[in-house]
Parts: sequence; C-alpha cells; structure tokens
Amino acid sequence: MSEWLLILALVIGVYAVAVLESWASGNRLRLLGPVVSALALLGQESVLHRKNDRLFFETSPILLLIAALLSLAIIPLAPGLIVTDLATGALFFNAALAYVLVALIMAGWGPDGAYGMIGGWRFLGQLIAFAMLVVMPITAVAMRAESLSTITIVESQAQLWNIAYQPLGFVLFAIAGMAMAFVPPFDLPNAEGELAGGVEAEYTGVRRMVFRLGRMVLILSVASAATVFYLGGWLGPWLPAWAWSAVKILAVTALMLAGGRMFPRIREGTLLAWAWKLGIPLALVNIFLVGVLVLVVPL
Amino acid sequence: MSLQVFFLLVFGGAAVWFGIVVFLTHSMVRSALALLFSQTAIGAMFLVMQAEFLGVLQIMMMATEMSIMAIFMVMFMMDPGGLGEMDMKHQRKTSLAAGLVAFFGALAVAVFADWGPVATDIPDAGEQVRLLGFELLGRSMLIFESAGLTILTAMIAATAVAVQARERKPKP
Repeated sequence: MSEWLLILALVIGVYAVAVLESWASGNRLRLLGPVVSALALLGQESVLHRKNDRLFFETSPILLLIAALLSLAIIPLAPGLIVTDLATGALFFNAALAYVLVALIMAGWGPDGAYGMIGGWRFLGQLIAFAMLVVMPITAVAMRAESLSTITIVESQAQLWNIAYQPLGFVLFAIAGMAMAFVPPFDLPNAEGELAGGVEAEYTGVRRMVFRLGRMVLILSVASAATVFYLGGWLGPWLPAWAWSAVKILAVTALMLAGGRMFPRIREGTLLAWAWKLGIPLALVNIFLVGVLVLVVPL
Repeated sequence: MSLQVFFLLVFGGAAVWFGIVVFLTHSMVRSALALLFSQTAIGAMFLVMQAEFLGVLQIMMMATEMSIMAIFMVMFMMDPGGLGEMDMKHQRKTSLAAGLVAFFGALAVAVFADWGPVATDIPDAGEQVRLLGFELLGRSMLIFESAGLTILTAMIAATAVAVQARERKPKP
C-alpha cells in the first residue's frame, strides 16, 4: 500500500515541480503545460551527432533520473511513509546526488559538441564545491539528531525546527542545494543565453524528455531534503503528516524556483571562489556553533 | 547459495569487468568513468556485506574523485576522446608480471590467512556508524589525523606550485 502511495506522491510532486518551473520562468500558471511539452518532445525527431560517444550519450539522461530517484529514497513524507529508512540516510542523499555530476559529464562529453562539453566540465567544479556545502550543514543537523537516519532527524526537530536552531546551516544548505540542482542563478551547466542550453543543447526528443524529467525529480529531491533537514519534515499542527510534507516541499520548490530568478547568473570563477573562501569557513563556524548549542541548550 | 553471496558475485564480477574495460577502451574519459563504476561496484559489495556506512561512503567519494581524474586526463592527454585509437596498455610484459604477482599474492593471503571465526552477529547499521566514530576518534585517531594533515600539506604545496608567481614591483 505505502509503495503505491509513494509512487503517487512522486508523480504528483514531479508534475507540480514542472508546473512551478514554467510558472517561475514564464510568469503564467499553465496546469497542462508539462503534458503539452511531453507530447511535443515525444513527437520530436531524435538527432544523433557525428563522432558521438553513443554509450555516454544514451546513458546520461537515464543515470540522471536514477540518481535523482535514489536520492528521494531516504525522504520520509510521514512516519512509515518512506522508501527505505537507512541508518546512513543523510550521507546516502549526498552519495546519490554525486552521480548527477557523472550524468552531466557524460551528457557534456557524449554528443561531441562544444557547448555541451563546457557545460559538463563547468558542473564538475560547481558540484564539488557545493557538495561540501551540502555535507557540512548536514553534519550539523546529524549532530543535533545524533543520527544519520532521516526519520530520527525529523523527530529531533519536535521542539524547535532546525531552521531556527541553526539558521546559518539552512542558508548554506539552501544555496548549495540550488547549486546541486542547477536552478537559476546557478544554472551554469545549461545556461540559456550563453551556452545555448549547455549539457541539454544536443539532446532532442525522448532523450531530452528523460533528461528534463530527471532534472524535475532532482529539484523535488533537493526541496524535500531541505524540508526534512530544516523545516521539521511532516511535523505541524492540524493537518495530517503527509499534507504538511507536501505543503512544505512545494513551498520550498516555489521559493527556490521563483527566488532564484531574482538574481543574476554568477561567473563560474566567482561562484567557486565564494563557495571555497566564504562558504566553507561559514559551514565550519556553523558546525562549531551547533556543537556548542547542542551541549549548552539541548532542545 | 544465499541471495547475499549471489549479489556479492554479481557486484564483484561488475567491479572486475569495469576494471578490464579501463584498458580495453581507447577513450580517456571512458577509461576514467569505467574505473569509477568499478569502484562503485566495490561500494555495492560493501553494502551487500552489511557494511552500510563504508559502502555509501565509497560510492559517494568515488563519483567525485574519478570525475576529477577524468578532467585531468582530458587536460593532459593529446587524444582524450580516443579518436586516434590510442592503446591504454604500456610495458606489457612488466605490467603483466606485476599483475600476476599481485593477483596470486592477494589470492594466497585470502586462502592461507587465518581469518578467525566468521562473524555471525553483525551490529545493525546505526550501531556500526557509532562504533566507527569511536574508532576514528580513539585508537585510529593518530593514523587518520596524520594522513589528513599529509594530504592537506600536499594540496597546499600543489596549489602553491601551480599558482603563477606575481610580479613584484621594483623598489623605487
């Protein structure tokens, strides 16, 4: 029973993310937009390039989708409504997202196109810098919960949500999560307007559809993780647990997609310099502060 | 044959196969990513052997490490895409001999070493994480701290060598 509920939640969630994304970029709420786009992509010709790396080209969209789906496996929507409650859940989330990098490098390298390749290698630097900024705030979250299990992490926030207990960690995690899911203004690997779509540029038809789908699942996954780690997951009054999860996840998604559009895209070098020179020291400060707080004010 | 042994064999076979692919392909990028998936398969073997933390850690670390190796290969090799059908195998006789010696050495250790009694009551994954934490901050602390410090020193040294020297302004 719960498996079907989870699949249903995934389908609805991904569809909602797709609608929200087109709303954030086009300023119009088109509820049937994703269906129309999917049909259009299904009917589109699938173009193959000369001298491509066929294996990478075909594997990449599927790997992106699988990596994003795996990262969702440790997200609890309600008590008992989780694919697998791993004892290393918080770490597993990052392990799964690391394969988004592999997928994007493959997508960049595979079709033998300059824009794609620049996009793929750009993402290498971006992900490595910001993966650190995902792991280090999660470390502080795990310190408070004294566990890496996502269910225990949610339960540890019963008194006070982590967004209030460790606001610095939340800010870092939100920024780094957006960079991992390459949503604007961190959309360097597929920047429209300067890379003409980057890693997505050479994909058409069904392959592009799978790639886009993987991206939507990835955005959903990052928003869900922010909810579980910082916004108390399913905790909340009046509404049933799953409804709180849904409301929070969709609100975070909307904020991420619409808020990101307010900022200009940042140059790769500057972005990486900020991540390493400002982000990492702040993340260390956050770990130290939370360590002191856990000992002095254990909530 | 239990399901555990079956999956151990599957992932072990995958690890060996991807290891062979590293040398069969002409493309440097394919070679690096084959090594990546070989290491991922080893991580999956850890998971099958109920060492959850080690497995997840291995799977996570290798994705970024091998991708970094791939970009260095692209930067330094003249034919990273393998369009010139470059051969990955060099010094065949020496490497073959070294490989065989290492293989039979490892096999001998595996067969003849006294491994003690097989563990039957494996602590659950959460307990393993806790025990690993105590190990890292207890008995093994010196080893890990010195290894970490060595790597940090190497990183700083490498960056210092790579950074272009700034021109000093001549004194007036």
